[in-house]
Amino acid sequence: MDKVIIIDIERCLACKSCEIACAIAHSKSKVLEEAVTESPRPQRMVTVEPVGESGVPIQCRHCEAAPCIEICPTGAIQRFDEQAPVVVDADLCIGCKLCMLICPFGVLQIGLEGRAIIKCDMCLERMEQGQEPACVEACPTKALRLVSLEEIIKSKRKEASKKLVKESGQAKG
Amino acid sequence: MRKIVIIGGSAAGMMAAIAAAKENPDADITVLTQDQLPYRRPAIPALIADYITGPEGARVFPPEALAKYGIKLILPAEATNLDPNNRVISVSSNGKKEKLSYDAVVIATGGYPLIPRIAGSDKKGVFTFTTYEAAAGIVDAAKSANCAVVIGASFIALEIAEALMHRGLDVYFNVRSRILRKLVEPDVSELLMQRFERRGLRMLAGEAISGIGAETHVEYVIHKRKKIATNLVVMGTGVKPNVALAEKCGIKLGPSGAIKVDNRMQTSVADIYAAGDCAESPELGTGRFVYSPVGSIGASAGKIAGRNAAGANQQTNGFLRAQADQILGMQIFSIGHSTTSAKEVGLEVKVHNLTVPVKSQMTKPFEIAKLLTDENDRIVGAQIVAKKHGSQFAWQLYQAVLVGENREEFLKRFNSPRMKMAEALANIVKSTVLVESIGEGKALTLADAASHKNINLVK
Repeated sequence: MDKVIIIDIERCLACKSCEIACAIAHSKSKVLEEAVTESPRPQRMVTVEPVGESGVPIQCRHCEAAPCIEICPTGAIQRFDEQAPVVVDADLCIGCKLCMLICPFGVLQIGLEGRAIIKCDMCLERMEQGQEPACVEACPTKALRLVSLEEIIKSKRKEASKKLVKESGQAKG
Repeated sequence: MRKIVIIGGSAAGMMAAIAAAKENPDADITVLTQDQLPYRRPAIPALIADYITGPEGARVFPPEALAKYGIKLILPAEATNLDPNNRVISVSSNGKKEKLSYDAVVIATGGYPLIPRIAGSDKKGVFTFTTYEAAAGIVDAAKSANCAVVIGASFIALEIAEALMHRGLDVYFNVRSRILRKLVEPDVSELLMQRFERRGLRMLAGEAISGIGAETHVEYVIHKRKKIATNLVVMGTGVKPNVALAEKCGIKLGPSGAIKVDNRMQTSVADIYAAGDCAESPELGTGRFVYSPVGSIGASAGKIAGRNAAGANQQTNGFLRAQADQILGMQIFSIGHSTTSAKEVGLEVKVHNLTVPVKSQMTKPFEIAKLLTDENDRIVGAQIVAKKHGSQFAWQLYQAVLVGENREEFLKRFNSPRMKMAEALANIVKSTVLVESIGEGKALTLADAASHKNINLVK
């Protein structure tokens, strides 16, 4: 995948704005005021996990070699092409929960409606309309960002070089 | 053109049809199903909890998805006879009778509920839940009831109990021995019973209900000589293979009473295959044929039956049973053998407690976990109960059971990367980089990157 959602732990306030935005984006109405009264209640696919004094927003990694795709006995979990996110085809999901069992990140869950498995779809609908995923857009501190792999590598290179120069400078001094 | 008829339209049957269509796109494939509309069986608790109404809310394998593969669906239809000599199936659908000729058949007639012999179990207000109609009956009855008794030991019975609790009913759960006896060890059952009780599920364990008191409608049940007033009883006491059609045409049954198959899922009659809750299936590891009515095994076996029915020659070494569920806030995972299931196939097993050391400020990663090993210390089963994210461990356990990994080898692998991650999470505030911070963040050293490999890049 060319773009990924990255998490900057140090910026996360554990405010759960991403959770709310995710639930709204996956609700029927897509509006907060109406979503809260929907039954079953809209579910979020990103969870802010409390860890120590902070939190980690965690959602589907859309793994390159995804265990959920491999284990699904009906082929309901799939990606349309190499660059696409991992999605669930509810028409084929028999609700056996094997994917829930095998996901290393624990980000699959049972949908309250229809009991098919649901998971982060990287907001396919929103992305097609040129919007960012709901969790990324909602994050007030930019702890969640949608960036390309190239951008990540580039900034890492920059930081590493800076550090090297700094360290060698200290050694000389 | 090869004619393939599939009898049964749930997981095994539908997967047989799709696999056959993929294997042989020119084949003429027909699925017969008794359902009005194919629906997801695990959705029945959601139906009872009122999350969904009608089978439409849980429909799966809809006709338009099957049409993509050129699969014909006849519903509701019943196969009344199967004649292997002339290769003809008699079908009754909506009062019409017709005969279908075939080159290959897949029997996926599923199972039906096993009802224990309890006096009064034929009275009004006593339900099973394997069909949509039965579930609809429970919903109706629950509207006027304020107390329910669920009898069973399985995941689905517990899910039904949770669904009835969600409706606001007082729910008693009766189990003869202990909950999930076939799936988990006794102390795991014990822990779960305690947790469920704390959440308000009233356990009636240790003894079966000895009677259901009723004139015409259920009034009470008797457990350990005590009367418990209730007007709704739900039986979730297991499933029996539906083999009526197979027996009628002389197909052999295995010792479990389900249809006997070989490693190609072919029955004792050529070109007739069977899969799902009506048939036996080989078990990974021992290779023995056992009866395991589990959806994922049904679907996997169905795929093999379907491919072979379409002309392929595929064999299976066996299937690994793995089940997961989330009930009353507890995630429960059971992979491979438990002591109960191992005993049934004559496998000697040893049970080990599985723990990971945690720092004091961390929450427990899981409640309880077990490893089962055979005489060579190879892992043949695993169980884990967690409040959340139990799958972080379950996926490693699954892989270990799948290959029958040596326990000590596994523990080395299980402990080290997990501990690193646990430590990183515990020290998150102090940690320089867990997930890389771009821009003003610090650079990652190679060692950092390696130790945080699992979590640093969020795709």
